[in-house]
Amino acid sequence: MAIPLRYNIRNLKLRKSATIMTALGIALTVTTAIFILALLAGLNAAFRLSGNALNVLVLRKGSNAELAAGGVDRDALPIMKDLPGVARDAQGEPLVSGEDLLVVVLPRNDGTGETNVTVRFLTATGIEMRPETKLVAGRWFTPGQHEIVVSQSIHNRFAQANVGDTMWIGKGPWTVVGVFDAGGTAHDSEIWGDVNQLAADFDRTFYNSVLLRATDPVAADALKNRVNDDQRLKLNGMLETDYWAKQTSSGNPIKFVGMIVAVIMAIGSCFAAMNTMYAAVAYRSREIATLRVIGFSRPSILASFVLESVLLSLLGALVGILLMLPFNGMTTGTNNPVTFSEAVFSLRMTPSVIGSAVLFALVMGLFGGMAPAWHAAQRQILASLRD
Amino acid sequence: MSTAMALNTATETKVVQARNVSKVFQRDAFQVKALDDVSLEIATAEFLALMGPSGSGKTTLLNMIAAIDRPSSGELLVLGQNVFRLSDGQSARWRNQHIGYVFQTFNLIPVLTAFENVELPLLLTKLSARERRDHVMTALKLVGLEERVHHLPKQLSGGQEQRVAIARAIVSDPTVLLADEPTGDLDGRSATEILEILKRLNQDYHKTIVMVTHDPHAASYAHLTRHLEKGMLLPA
Amino acid sequence: MTLARFVRKNAFRNKRRSILTLLSISFSLLLLTVMMTIWRAFYMSDGTSESAERLIIRHRVSLGQFLPIAYRERIRSVPGVKNVVNQTWFGGQYKDDKPENFFAQFGTDPNEIFDVQRDFHIPQDQLEAWKKDRAGCVVDAELAKKHGWKIGDRLNIKGTIFPFDLELTIRGMFTAATPTETVYFNNTYVDEGYPKMKGFVGFFGVLADSPESVPQVAKAIDAMFRNSDRPTKSESEKAFNLDWIAMLGNVKGFILSICGAVVFATLLVSANTMAMSIRERTREVALLKTLGFTRATVLALFMGEAVSLAALGGLVGALAGSVLVYGMARSPQMGLFLTGVTINAPTMLVAVLVAATVGVVSSIVPAFNASRGNIVEGLRHIG
Ligand SMILES: Nc1ncnc2c1ncn2[C@@H]1O[C@H](COP(=O)(O)OP(=O)(O)OP(=O)(O)O)[C@@H](O)[C@H]1O
Ligand SMILES: [Mg+2]
Repeated sequence: MAIPLRYNIRNLKLRKSATIMTALGIALTVTTAIFILALLAGLNAAFRLSGNALNVLVLRKGSNAELAAGGVDRDALPIMKDLPGVARDAQGEPLVSGEDLLVVVLPRNDGTGETNVTVRFLTATGIEMRPETKLVAGRWFTPGQHEIVVSQSIHNRFAQANVGDTMWIGKGPWTVVGVFDAGGTAHDSEIWGDVNQLAADFDRTFYNSVLLRATDPVAADALKNRVNDDQRLKLNGMLETDYWAKQTSSGNPIKFVGMIVAVIMAIGSCFAAMNTMYAAVAYRSREIATLRVIGFSRPSILASFVLESVLLSLLGALVGILLMLPFNGMTTGTNNPVTFSEAVFSLRMTPSVIGSAVLFALVMGLFGGMAPAWHAAQRQILASLRD
Repeated sequence: MSTAMALNTATETKVVQARNVSKVFQRDAFQVKALDDVSLEIATAEFLALMGPSGSGKTTLLNMIAAIDRPSSGELLVLGQNVFRLSDGQSARWRNQHIGYVFQTFNLIPVLTAFENVELPLLLTKLSARERRDHVMTALKLVGLEERVHHLPKQLSGGQEQRVAIARAIVSDPTVLLADEPTGDLDGRSATEILEILKRLNQDYHKTIVMVTHDPHAASYAHLTRHLEKGMLLPA
Repeated sequence: MTLARFVRKNAFRNKRRSILTLLSISFSLLLLTVMMTIWRAFYMSDGTSESAERLIIRHRVSLGQFLPIAYRERIRSVPGVKNVVNQTWFGGQYKDDKPENFFAQFGTDPNEIFDVQRDFHIPQDQLEAWKKDRAGCVVDAELAKKHGWKIGDRLNIKGTIFPFDLELTIRGMFTAATPTETVYFNNTYVDEGYPKMKGFVGFFGVLADSPESVPQVAKAIDAMFRNSDRPTKSESEKAFNLDWIAMLGNVKGFILSICGAVVFATLLVSANTMAMSIRERTREVALLKTLGFTRATVLALFMGEAVSLAALGGLVGALAGSVLVYGMARSPQMGLFLTGVTINAPTMLVAVLVAATVGVVSSIVPAFNASRGNIVEGLRHIG
């Protein structure tokens, strides 16, 4: 026979201050956990959303980053355009984009110094191959001009990144003519400009990377292998999605420190919950004895107290989630160790983040409640009645 | 002779002088008159038993004398002091020096040994550790517990616990000993032991004792018995 | 017995509760200690005295862009410069891309690197052996210990930034005050392995003649190259390291918010415990007052109890924190960010003080209420 839940809820209400303080403590822990999980979720999303399953990214052999020294010879582009399986646009042009990358230093607008930002040089075809990217202000750059467009988050986070501002890139000033939103992908950390203008400025003979669009997923895989196997090219092709997925490693220090922090705080909160539950048991020892006299079994006493502890921690989780909600969507940045430049991402309280936080609190409640509940269930009836 | 003069001369021999003391407790909408116009004098070295039914105001009167509660009206001098003029800190110090209080439920501190419980009031004095030790041992010998010095309260019987409590009450050598049903929780034999100790404290050490009790046998140890009823002191 | 002993007895009256509270507080304070140590390591340490005399000269735009080797002699001519050495980040992979196999590899000049990095020590004969072998390298002795390398071992490193692999032979081991996780090899290897890089290097390390001349030297160097097509950014080694940390993101905000959460959580735990234990002792408080304890004494007794419990928790936390920091500093997941970081006594002291303050703050309200409480009510209290 189970002891009704109502009994636990009333008891939690009765010992209001202890309940509130313990729940708040748990809430703080949950908040921290959510913060870290949301950070990682945002970072992962930025890299996972980036890349299209139909796109194949081509780099020089042995390289695994777009910004590595050396790249794809410009002469290789026509060869790739003719490879079977390459998709074409409405005009019948092959969807192949040779791209260059540079890193520039920009001052943050919150005065915390300067950061490296990636500038990607591409053509209209390159933009077309990333349909998630939308213009939100101004216009796209004009080919043959020293013009750039900046992502929304760069626009927000850096000084001198408004439409009309100029930035010194390479050998001269480039004018910001538009702001784009890359839909939460890694391109949200980038600035885009015309690849041919850059080539003219720098006399470059190679691209840092080439992006190929395949007609369908099977063709994408075949295209990747074809690039890898082509003896003329000596290049390294990979699915664009795989390339970005690998870069989630930039979250490693956050993940590592975050996990340590969350686990330690959770252990601390567990002890606090245990304390509160032991006090609840001591406070109600006569009550428990009475319940036993009435005929409730030991397991039902045990279950009732564990449940009460879980209830307490869920209350904490709820408060924690509410505390974190205002921060959902906040953008921040970290270093991408592959490109040595900033990766911007936002805090994302996805359902799975919230789910994990609740689970996390549940585990805390279980651990915190188990020992006191066991203690309550094991007490001798007579001993409890006497004191 | 003027009244003022009479009061003055009385001061030397009276420990307690209560005139028209009343105490009203406000409980939500209810008013309880715990003491109703009580006038009482207790002489030095007196052993007074205070009897009366439950709720008649005995504890309330004792608390007044100990300066832990104050009258709603009337005048109360203890050892010639109008204790309610004292600040909180002053009255605490005064109580430490002049009053010993023994409770029905002993109120020993469970984590302290018998010795440490008795020593507690002395921690507020300037006595050295050695002097404190001497005082504590004297008090414990007086109640016949020198063998049980290092026992915790839970290792003692009820009678022994009450004896420790008495030792604590007398260790700072107060003038007045207030005992609120000191034998209420004890069996007959332990009760007799306690009463004998109180009697000896009164006879040999001239302590003024006010003892609340329900038990006529206990009251027989006192020189004098007064009755309270519904807050009113019945004529002697 | 003394009042202090009375406090101690009371603090451990309910042993289980006190220990749970202690553990809870110490876990929180452990975190605080770790966070404070990271903060200190990142923002407050001045490094070795040699470090204060060093500058890093890099391409103004980014570490990913290179500088001509010809700059080296021009930098040497700047007043205040004692030694200059070129260094190039190779960024290759040893064995695989697992974090525990990650370490830094720099192509450099064997003739001068140890004249700039004066706080690194290497036996003279090993240095000579390296100078003679173009495919030789020297490794941090700590790193060698970790991977079980011996002098004469082969070290194969796969190029990822550069399109060629290194096949090195370990010719020597150097020691540094704190682990550096670094391998130095001869930069001519890069010149030969990737001719496009010939004549270019990653950055320069400069040893100035005194810490005071560092700012002027930096200014002079940057001025010298301002109008060239490869302008430089010169800064002290410390400023360079801070730039590096800033790239991790808003580290300060992260640390501060965690510290805030931790302190607040500790406060709640301690306050809860004190509230529980004071409530249980209502009768005893009344008794103490009947015995003549003043309000101030009662207040002091309870606050003393909370403070000693919290401070003890702080001490335990700080001690555990030093163990954790030791572990984290050696953890591959942290990359190079925490190498050589240890806890110091002032940090531990601060942790204990913070804990004690938390004890004061958390107990002040319940202890004050208890000390003000009515004696008569207290004596009537049941439970
Ligand atoms: N703090 C208080 N608040 C409200 N009412 C009180 C308070 N203390 C005492 N009373 C009331 O005053 C009356 C006298 O109480 P008191 O404790 O003095 O009785 P008593 O004679 O000692 O009784 P008992 O023999 O049961 O101990 C009672 O009606 C009691 O309810
Ligand atoms: Mg009474």
